[in-house]
Amino acid sequence: MREKTPRARRWLEGLGWGAPLPLMAAALLSGPAEGFGPREVLAWAAAALGAAPAPAAEQAAVIAAVVLDVRLPRILLAFLAGASLTVSGNALQALFRNPLVSPDILGLTAGAAFGAALALTAGVLPLQGSAFAFALAAVGLTYGIARQRGGASTVALILSGVIVSGVFTALLTIVQFLADPFKLQTIVHWTLGNLHNASWAKVGSAALPMGLGWVGLWLMRWRMNVIALGDDETRAVGLNPEKEKLLILVPATLVASASVAVAGIIGMIGLALPHVVRMAAGPDNRRTVPLSLGFGGGFLVLVDTFSRSTAAFELPVGIFTTLLATPVFVYLLKTRFLPGTGRDVA
Amino acid sequence: MSLDVHELRFAYAAQPVLRGVSFRVEPGALSALLGPNGSGKSTLLKHLAGFLPPRQGRVRVLGRDLAGLSLRERARLIGFLPQSHVPVFPFRVAEVVLTGRAAGITFLPGRKDREKAAEALARVGIAHLADRPYSELSGGERQLVLIARVLAQEPRVFLLDEPLAHLDIANQVRVVRLLKELAAAGLTVLIVMHDPNLALLFADGIVVLKEGRVLRFGPHGEMADRRLYEEAYGVALAAVPFGDRFLLVPDAAPPAEPPGLRAFR
Repeated sequence: MREKTPRARRWLEGLGWGAPLPLMAAALLSGPAEGFGPREVLAWAAAALGAAPAPAAEQAAVIAAVVLDVRLPRILLAFLAGASLTVSGNALQALFRNPLVSPDILGLTAGAAFGAALALTAGVLPLQGSAFAFALAAVGLTYGIARQRGGASTVALILSGVIVSGVFTALLTIVQFLADPFKLQTIVHWTLGNLHNASWAKVGSAALPMGLGWVGLWLMRWRMNVIALGDDETRAVGLNPEKEKLLILVPATLVASASVAVAGIIGMIGLALPHVVRMAAGPDNRRTVPLSLGFGGGFLVLVDTFSRSTAAFELPVGIFTTLLATPVFVYLLKTRFLPGTGRDVA
Repeated sequence: MSLDVHELRFAYAAQPVLRGVSFRVEPGALSALLGPNGSGKSTLLKHLAGFLPPRQGRVRVLGRDLAGLSLRERARLIGFLPQSHVPVFPFRVAEVVLTGRAAGITFLPGRKDREKAAEALARVGIAHLADRPYSELSGGERQLVLIARVLAQEPRVFLLDEPLAHLDIANQVRVVRLLKELAAAGLTVLIVMHDPNLALLFADGIVVLKEGRVLRFGPHGEMADRRLYEEAYGVALAAVPFGDRFLLVPDAAPPAEPPGLRAFR
């Protein structure tokens, strides 16, 4: 990585820690609601805390309903999904020693999407369990195809990820083809990466697998440094590389598939944001893992707030993240990966 | 005895690589493992490091049978320096050295681990590199960092696979001197070497391997024998006196001066 001035780094890192909470508070105030704006929400909040006289009861009920049952779960879900995709991307990049992999590229996302769509259509499978099982199968397949003599090269991983993604996308299309029209619309919307159906039920269903996965990745954060140095280097200091990889892969898959199960395919975050995090904090995973949660969560809250507040109609947030993250990634590709041998990376 | 290898045999598929290797290495000495390409040096070292389990034969390290040790127990006895490569991520040197402590760490390194890592860096003489990105160092510096990583591990036996391979002559001497010091301080050091002359100059003991068998092993004095290396490498050699030791050069008549060159004289 090119030298960054320490000040710029500190500023970026401070942003990752400090921005999410104020951002989420601001997001609660904004949105396309008729009849009240941020000022009324603030007045309502002050009254609810006992600091101001209560507004008209009728309006208070509407505001309470919009803020507590529509915006709050949506903001929480955005944070959970953004944080999970970023921390998963960070972990996968360390595990595969490859800054060009992500849940999307390894086929994980396509696998989870197929699993979730199957659960939505068939109705017998548990949504989270099915997404996780197929996501794990997809990553395992990608790694299995790319693996040669105990390792997998960047090119092999990316190509086999393309193949596996293609297979699961095809299977997803079959599910869509067989689904009845009402469910089909739900599935298509959800595939595009969508938070507008957020509910407390979805927050509840995602929170447990994500929480478990976050704890797992948090515990493994230093051991990611060890595994990132190489298999022989890991074995030489007394850890079994295959076991370490599994201990990182399972929680990384769990959090990303949980995100896909509730919010659909929100692209590019898992690939691009870990790079931004490393630019801020360096490659030490002891710092990038917690910072990925703050950065990724805050980023998706910000993008989602724009996507639901600015236009008269709402575009799926996955479209925005892809459009926003792509230039970042093209920049990284042009400045870091393509020059030289491809190992001089963020 | 620090290292005791007995009748070790190993084959990749049907291709035998080690055909009954037996030798011993004294503690507190720098020993060199020599042999032509494909003689089984790296495979032997991987067995000693416990990366490959012995199918036939036995490896004892400080009196303990290697087969009965867990990965973490083994890492506390033996430090192994694989042939080096550059990691993808630009970890700071201090972070790379810290990973040497992994055998004693559950999830996060503590203050003692950081102190040991800092000590190891100072011992190797590269404390000033602690904050540099490892991936931006020169080959020689990287080798020193990896040696510091093994020192942070605090093993009793130190195995190195061609640590001098990509180093210039100054860095070769620097690394060998450091390893000599470590051996003098009580560590058992075994190095796979390409160049018999470095072994003849610096090693206390030498093991010569050929076609998966030990041709001869012993202290330096017994191994300073030109014909031994002629047999090992299958090439005619001449011994050139150097102080109380000697160096080996290929015993070929100097090439005739190309006729074209005379015009420039």
